[in-house]
Amino acid sequence: MASSNKTMVCRVADVPANGMKECVVECGQKVLIANSGENYFAYQAMCPHQEVPLCEGLYDGNVLTCHQHLWQWDIRTGAPMGLAEAPLEFYNVEVADGAIYVVSPSALNQSELFTGISETTLAQLNGLVRREEHDAGATLYCPGDSVEDLYILESGRIEFLVGRSDHASPAGFMLRKGEVFGWAALLDNQPRRIARATCLEKSSLLRLPGKKVLAILQADPASGYLVMRRLSSLIMRHLAASGPT
Amino acid sequence: MRVQVKARNRSYEFESLPGEKLLFAGLRNEIELPYECASGTCGTCKAKLLDGQIADPWPHAPGRRYLKADHGEFLMCQCAPQSDIRVEIASFVNPMSARACPPRAFNGTIRKRGMLTHDVMALEVALDQPCDFDAGQFVALEVADVPGYRGYSMVNFERLARVLAFVVKKKPDGGVSEWLFRGDRTGAPVRAFGPLGRATFFPGVEKNLLCIAGGSGIAGMMSIVSHACQEKHFGRYHGYLFFGVRTMQDAFYLTELRELAQQYPDRLHITVALSDEDVPVDAASRHPGLHFARGLVHEVVAREMRGRFDNVRAYVAGPPPCVDAAIRMLLLEGKLSTDNVRYDKFS
Repeated sequence: MASSNKTMVCRVADVPANGMKECVVECGQKVLIANSGENYFAYQAMCPHQEVPLCEGLYDGNVLTCHQHLWQWDIRTGAPMGLAEAPLEFYNVEVADGAIYVVSPSALNQSELFTGISETTLAQLNGLVRREEHDAGATLYCPGDSVEDLYILESGRIEFLVGRSDHASPAGFMLRKGEVFGWAALLDNQPRRIARATCLEKSSLLRLPGKKVLAILQADPASGYLVMRRLSSLIMRHLAASGPT
Repeated sequence: MRVQVKARNRSYEFESLPGEKLLFAGLRNEIELPYECASGTCGTCKAKLLDGQIADPWPHAPGRRYLKADHGEFLMCQCAPQSDIRVEIASFVNPMSARACPPRAFNGTIRKRGMLTHDVMALEVALDQPCDFDAGQFVALEVADVPGYRGYSMVNFERLARVLAFVVKKKPDGGVSEWLFRGDRTGAPVRAFGPLGRATFFPGVEKNLLCIAGGSGIAGMMSIVSHACQEKHFGRYHGYLFFGVRTMQDAFYLTELRELAQQYPDRLHITVALSDEDVPVDAASRHPGLHFARGLVHEVVAREMRGRFDNVRAYVAGPPPCVDAAIRMLLLEGKLSTDNVRYDKFS
């Protein structure tokens, strides 16, 4: 679905209060519509964990639970709860003349790192965005490169390698819309990249200059605090050396 | 064979033994690779082959329906590396927690078997070396005549166990189960890999326990309740065990359950739920200390536990429809948080 494409998915009558429905939109893409009784929400149709259809899950009007491994999300935001390790990709919803339309948001608005921040700050951050597309095999940065930008994945797959190129070892990969990398751009005293970031497939991403992001967050400390808390858990999650306790 | 696993958060390298399933090689190296059934049905252990050769002895494994085979996806519980390989797993993979009992391969011998009902067997396997496991865990078993591993939960609980006790339900085309029921297999060699499974009980759980078992799912619950009794858990907390079967003819372990209930008559409540017949009038008098109720086990739990779901940790085991119905009830009616609902789907 193109980013500004408004698509009709179903009629409001198709989705009862505290109910949900899987709808097929263009190109066979599926969207889950949930009715909380007051509002409609639209999310990716498959669980981000094991690709189980979320419409087969449990929904009580507030919390959506995938029946397979009990990952849960807040239906109002798509934010993960309990055991869930990833948010749901959401769509903006518009209701007109008894029909439900969805619009795909930008990867920045989708990003877990920036969820919940003020609309003004989000708009300012969106103003910094440069969108880029890269072919499979393209290198985005190498160890030793100077750290300027924060990256947000829109589509594709990015792999990270740490260590010198003659004995570099894989350090994970990113594949979800809204995933953030190159986060050194938001840290103090991290002037050089420590990993190589390579596109494993054709990828599109958003770049934001780190210093300008920090300046915007500084002017809105409540939002800045949220972002820094999320950033620290994000880093912990990728660096965690021990298993769950 | 050298194996490299590229996970979402990092990569791992380890050696696999000739013929060893990739999942077992990783777990043996204390890497928490994703899995649930470890026997080819759930699809949780899927990975993508980047390069190298693997052998897949069960190309029709039901878990393959979750795979994109044209993307090189395969089940780690079924496939063994045949060369150095590199694979990708699209989830976070962490090293095994320090308090987990690290799984490994055992050789064993069938020591004893006895019929619990017309279609349920008690089976004991003597191991070549002691095995440490947590209450509620299972092992994957393979017998020489029937290739392929099947998961069975331990009934007993003890540290450094030399004998593992299991419950085996007769299934129409259940490979290992059919083989066991066809003749006296005492003395037959078995291979085991384990312990496996995360639906475990630790004495540090400061909660009332709710155990829900359908049929042979009672096995792991016996282990959990035994361990909880050994640790005097019911000196401080309540325990509720619900055992769902079709009729009285299908119920077993009633003597053992009564002995457990008698240890804590005020705190440990054990109910047998009969789905297909009314409770016989003499059931309670023939089995003092046990309760009996009519209904599907999750319905009986919902009825009997109403108002008592506070501070509860639930364990669920049994046939998938029974487990699914129980989980739905626990979340929607019991309002339990997901971390208090523990189960391993492997039947």
